[in-house]
Formats: sequence, C-alpha cells, structure tokens
Amino acid sequence: MLVMSTTPETLKKYMNPYLAGFLLGLTLLASFLILGAGLGASGGIARIAAFTECVFVPDHTRASEYFGPWCAHNPLRYYLVFMLIGTFLGSLASALFANRVSFKLERGTKAPAGLRAALALIGGLLVGFASRLAAGCTSGQALTGGALLLTGSLIFLVCIFAGGYAAAWFVRRQWDD
Amino acid sequence: MIETLYHQGALTTGAAMGLSLLVGVAFGFVLERAGFGSSRRLAGIFYFRDMAVAKVMFSGLVTAMLGLAYLVAFGWISLERIYLMPTVYAAQIIGGLIFGVGFALSGWCPGTAAVGFASGKLDALLCLCGAVVGSILFNELYPAMRPLQVESGVQFIYANLGVSQTTFAFLLTVAAVIVFWAVEYLERRRKTGTDYFNSPSLKGFGTLLLVFAVGLFIVGGGPGVAFDGSTREAESVAPATIAQQPGGDLLAQVESGQDHVEPEELADRLTRGVSDWLVVDVRPPAEFNALHIRGAVNIPLSNLEADLQPYKNRGRIVLYSNGMTHPAQARDYLHSRGFQNAYILTDGLTGFIERCLKPASLRSAPLGPEAAATVTRWREYFLSPGTPGSQAAAEQDDFAELTLPGLTATDWLAENYHLGNVRIIDLRSNPEYTSGHIPGSLRLDLESLRGVIGGVPSMLMPASMIGEHLSLMGLHPADVVVLVSGDKLQDATIMAIALERVGHNRYLILDGGFGKWLAEGLPTDTALPSVAASEFSVDRFADHFTVDYQTVLQHMERRSAVIIDVRPAEYYSGTKSDEARAGHIPGALSRPYTEDVLASDKYNAFKRIDGLRQAYSQLIPSRDATVIVHCRTGHQASQTFFVLKQLLGYRNVLWYDAGWTEWAARPELPIRAAAAP
Repeated sequence: MLVMSTTPETLKKYMNPYLAGFLLGLTLLASFLILGAGLGASGGIARIAAFTECVFVPDHTRASEYFGPWCAHNPLRYYLVFMLIGTFLGSLASALFANRVSFKLERGTKAPAGLRAALALIGGLLVGFASRLAAGCTSGQALTGGALLLTGSLIFLVCIFAGGYAAAWFVRRQWDD
Repeated sequence: MIETLYHQGALTTGAAMGLSLLVGVAFGFVLERAGFGSSRRLAGIFYFRDMAVAKVMFSGLVTAMLGLAYLVAFGWISLERIYLMPTVYAAQIIGGLIFGVGFALSGWCPGTAAVGFASGKLDALLCLCGAVVGSILFNELYPAMRPLQVESGVQFIYANLGVSQTTFAFLLTVAAVIVFWAVEYLERRRKTGTDYFNSPSLKGFGTLLLVFAVGLFIVGGGPGVAFDGSTREAESVAPATIAQQPGGDLLAQVESGQDHVEPEELADRLTRGVSDWLVVDVRPPAEFNALHIRGAVNIPLSNLEADLQPYKNRGRIVLYSNGMTHPAQARDYLHSRGFQNAYILTDGLTGFIERCLKPASLRSAPLGPEAAATVTRWREYFLSPGTPGSQAAAEQDDFAELTLPGLTATDWLAENYHLGNVRIIDLRSNPEYTSGHIPGSLRLDLESLRGVIGGVPSMLMPASMIGEHLSLMGLHPADVVVLVSGDKLQDATIMAIALERVGHNRYLILDGGFGKWLAEGLPTDTALPSVAASEFSVDRFADHFTVDYQTVLQHMERRSAVIIDVRPAEYYSGTKSDEARAGHIPGALSRPYTEDVLASDKYNAFKRIDGLRQAYSQLIPSRDATVIVHCRTGHQASQTFFVLKQLLGYRNVLWYDAGWTEWAARPELPIRAAAAP
C-alpha cells in the first residue's frame, strides 16, 4: 500500500508552500544581486569530496583532471562550501524553532531499515555523480538556471522528473506503511 | 546598476565567503520551513501524494524569474553581471535522468539533504555521504565523460524557441499557476497533504504572479529587449546611457514582426554598444560611403551569402537599403540558403532617419519628454563621428588623432602611405612580396623574430634582437608602423607583439591585409625601398604581458585568470595533437583564433567589434579580469591578444608564448586530455 503517513496535522506546521516558494525566490534574487551567482548545494559537496579524496590520496587527486586544479590550494575555500554550511545552519535554526529535530531514519513504517538506508546511500551516490556531470543540482541548475531561463538548466529540470518518475515505482517499498 | 561580486571577480574573497554563508542561511531556513527536512515529503511528488516540491520550486523559480526581469528592465542589474551556466546538452540530459533516479531512490537532493541532516535524519546523512562518493567517482571517471561535455555556450530557452523573453516568461507563469491548481486538485482528490485548493493564498499568489507577468509587456519595452543580452552594456558607453530606459513611447510601438526589425529597436541596441546583431547595408558602396547607419557593414548583394557565412544562424543579421524591396529579396534568398537569422529593417534607411533621427522639434506629432530624450541620445550617437577603434581609424583622416595602436582601413593607408613617417612592414613571404607590395613597404621575415629560447622552440626574440632588426629597417620611435599581412592576420599581430615588447606602440594593423589592398585595386610596386639604418632604441622593460608556465600554473590553480586556448577545437579537445601530449590546460576555455576572423575568398579581416565584444563578454567576466591567451607556439594567440587588448580594451591580457609546445612537454603540468592519440 502506498499511503504516506504525513498527516495534515503535522503538515500544518509547515509554511504555506507558496509563501515558502516566494521567499525562496527572493533568496535566489538576493543571491543574484549580491553574489552575481545563484544558489548551489552540490558544488559545496563536490569541494568536500575533493578535500576528502585529497586527504587519502593526495598525489593521485592533484594529478586528476577534475579535482586536480581545486586541490592546488584548499578546495574548501570556495563560496559554495560556505553556502552549504549556511544552508545547514539556517535549516538547523528553523528545525529547532519548530521543534522538528529528531534523530531517525525516515522510512515507511513497514519498510525494512536496511532497504531504506541502502537506497538513501545509492541514491545519494547517483545524485552526487549526476550533479557533477550536469554541473549543478536542483538548486544550482534547475532552480537557478530555470529562473535565468537557460536552456540546459530547464532541460535538466525536465529530465530530473522523467528519471524520478521512471524510478519511483521500483523503490516504492521503502515508503510502505 | 548593482555591482555583483562575480562581476568584480571577487567571489573568492573573504567577504564573498561570509555573504555566501548568509545567503545559505536564508536558503536553508526557507527550505526547512517548507518542510523539506523530510525525505518522505520530498519523495511524495514521485507518487503524486505530496506535491510540495513542485509548489515551492516552481513558485520560487517564477518569483525569481519575474523579479529579475523587472530589475533588468529598471536597469538595476544586467545579466552580464550574473554567472550564466553554459548549456551542455548531453551532460544535462543524462545528468538529469540519473539525478532523477537518485532523487527518487534517496528521497533527497543535495540542498534538501543538508536540511535533512540538520533535522537529524540519518537517511540524509547517508545521502550526503553517497553524494561525496558519487562526486569522487565522477572525478575518477572524468576522462570517460568528456564526449558528453560538449558545450553549446549560454543558451536561452526563449531564443531557442523563437519567442521573446517576455512572451516566454508570461507563458511559463501561466503554466506554473495552472500546475499549482492541478496539484492542489490532485491532493484534494487523494486527501493527502494540506488543502490549498481555492484557498485565498493560492488565489492571491496566482493573481500576483500573473499581474507581474502581464506587466512585463509594459516595462519590458518590446520583444526580447529586457532579457536576451541587449542589456549587456559596453563599459565604453557612458553610465548615463546605461541607466536610461529604452525609449519609452517610441519603443512601445515596436511590434514583433517575424522577419522585421523596427528602427527604434535597432537604434536602441546599437547605442547600447554591445549586440550580436550584424547590420548589413546592401546599397552600392558609393551610397554607403555617403551615409550609412553607424556600425553597419557594406556587402553588395552578389557577395551576401559568402560574406555572411560566418554569421549564419548566429545572432541576427539585419539587412537594409533605402527602402525595403532589395533587403526583402536578400532576406528571402538568404532564408532559402538556410539562414534563419536574417531580418529586414522596417522602412529601411529612410525610415530609420525619419523615425529615430528626426529631431523632436521637426516632428508633426509631439513626443513625450522621455521619447524626446531618447531621440536626442540616438542623434548624438548616430550623427557623431566614430568611436576609437577600427571604424574610427577608418574614418579618421587626421594623422595626429589616430588611435594607436589599432586597426586601419585600406582607404586611410591609401591616402597616407606616401608620408615619410608612415612605415609599412610587409610580413608575407618572399615570392609574394617581390611580385608586388604596397609602395615603400619593407619586408620582414617572421622567422627572424622567433627562435629557440631556453630549449623552447618558436619563442619571440628578446627586445634587443628585435631592436636590431628594426634598426636595420631604419625605423624611428616617432614612426607610425603599419603592419601588412597576407591572409594570416596573425602574421601582423605577432609583429605587433614584437613592437610592444620593445615599447613601440605607434603601430596599426591593416585590416584585410594585402589581399584587401589588392582587391580594391590600390597601387602596388615591385621596387625595393631604399633604407638607411637607424639606431632604434628599445625599452627593455616594456614587456609586462609575456608569461611563463609557472605564472600560468599559478593562475590555473587559483582560478584567478581566464585561460583562453585559441588553437583549433580538435587540438583543444585532444583528438588531434602535434605535441608531446594531447588536450588542454585544465580550466582553459576554447576560442579558436579563426572565430575572430571574417574570411572571404579575397582576404581575411577582423570581425566587427560588436560581435567580438559580445563573444568575449561570454568568456571573460570583466574588462579588468586577468586573461591568458595561448596556442601551440604563440603565433595564433598573438591575434587573440591583439583583439582582446587593442580592439576590445581588456586591460589585463597576458600572452603565454611558449604555449602548448612547452606545456605538453612538461609531464609535471596537469592537462585535460582526451583518449590517447
């Protein structure tokens, strides 16, 4: 059975999605005006990845084509790393105010924890890989590039939904209640 | 106009880190408020259960899109100051599909996973770890991904679809509002999520978006004006001009004829200084010389297809004559030859003068103050003598007021070649020179300027040796040196670099080279000029622009310079190679030097400044950005160096003379390589 357990009562605590979207749009505008670049999350993760790889295999990483130039100096000194830290801090503040911080593995009540954990990890791996391939994620390409009406970003956005809907049925068990 | 950190090249500063952190805080706060700290809620969209992702994302996208369009229309910001991601079709299609699968599996995307992690979700942490591993995997597989990474440059969806930015923004807004209602209806039917169907908030927000989208047609000033690059103002345009609105009443009359360009729209674009529009005057040369629209090029109808080949389906070609019959025929002909970007100027030159340049006081219908100001501005621009640069050089007949260094046209040289302090250096090789050259010109063999230095071949000689050659040619520091090439413009530009190395900046390059001189039937001579050797004193410290590989490496690592590889694209990609290793310097951009040249069967000339400026503004963030140009041996790169520094006014252009020959042969230097040659 595919029934989501998020009840209207819990949802009520969330902000009106249109107001949230409006505020998200204003945040993106502010980013355009101040930084001259849009929002981004996967760029920060990639920098952390470069840093991590450089800790374990420094010579190999420095010689690599993609991460190599980042590793000549501290790869973490990059604006998107700081934006990612900000994202963490901002959402932590919001979650604390709303009393929504809870340590758990989110899944359907009847779904095996192992399945959910494995899918989260594999999904993350695909997301990380694809973000580098497309030079951005939902934030950096789909939202930012979409607002700029860039062709590639909008194609990326459409393809995200195509890929998501194609895969969703196969992994529905993780949300079983 | 708001100055962004990106445009200032300041995204790497400490201040940028702090401001990015603050933007991130707002971003994270909004995402968490929206409930994006829950993978279940996020994944809901893929099961049509909880459509929050669609609602928040599309309202955010449309809000930012409309907000930006208004800010651009009001002159607060221009898209030039914002980083625009290039379109890479294959990578973005495949990347999008893989990303979608990953999103459905994990229930997170990178930004929301950070939110989930902050909310204590273990699955978010797993997703983030996966994303780190996935990024590392990408780095390891990067060489195999190269075939997907074929960039198509910055592409705007509305331009690809052939509609105006305003129309597209309006349609997208309407679509978003319809989607909002559809997903609310869906959620109500399924009794999932909160019920906003017909809620005041949805009605209010939807109405607001639509009102602003409709309002764009009023402030946007006409099709495509607000958003499609027309606002990328040149820094040479006075700030007052930039801040001004497109001419209110007049531009409001501009309508979207499918193959027409209205005079007001053309005037507005040309006065803004930067445009990817090529304005072509198809009248006979005599009429063109008597009067033409500033910035236009004269191409006879018979040469149209050949001469316009480089502009085929790139930017816009605007054809005009006195009336409309000839341009319309020309347009139809070009269209039949596959040109999708040929337009005609409504009412031709006559209409342009009548509608744009007629003083407000002579008009039968009164103009509003704003429109009158616009007409005054246009008159100032179109009726004034040329700007510094090639057109100016061509129009100047006063020797003392030449822009040096710069380009010169054949007609200026035809009038002045006989003068004692105009010294012409012919860089063609020998049978060509002896069988006919511009009277009085001196031949110089390029190979006498270059040789092996420090083990690296084809290096430009040191200043003292260049000075010896100039002395043997009898040159003096007060001379204006005119450089004449054959069909390789880079022969003239490498000599230009040699002159700059010795501190002699009084030089001009003959646009079109000897080929154009010959094609125009100007006088030639086979006699050798008489030369009395001089003592040419060189400035040994004039060369601040030649850099070695250590400097390039440093800039590459810090990403503190735009590195432009001007070799043909197949050498950049590494599919072809004449050197130790194939590929390019990591982070270097490809802009083959041939892209800057307008080739015809008779001669090669530089492309129009406007087109070049537009092209390079896509690659280089600002006039003050550090730019390094290189090719294999420094020869081709000298041409791009000249274009950037002397024609376009980039202030910080560096020349990596040793180029790929050296870089490829030093195994310790990193490269981005294709499959082994």
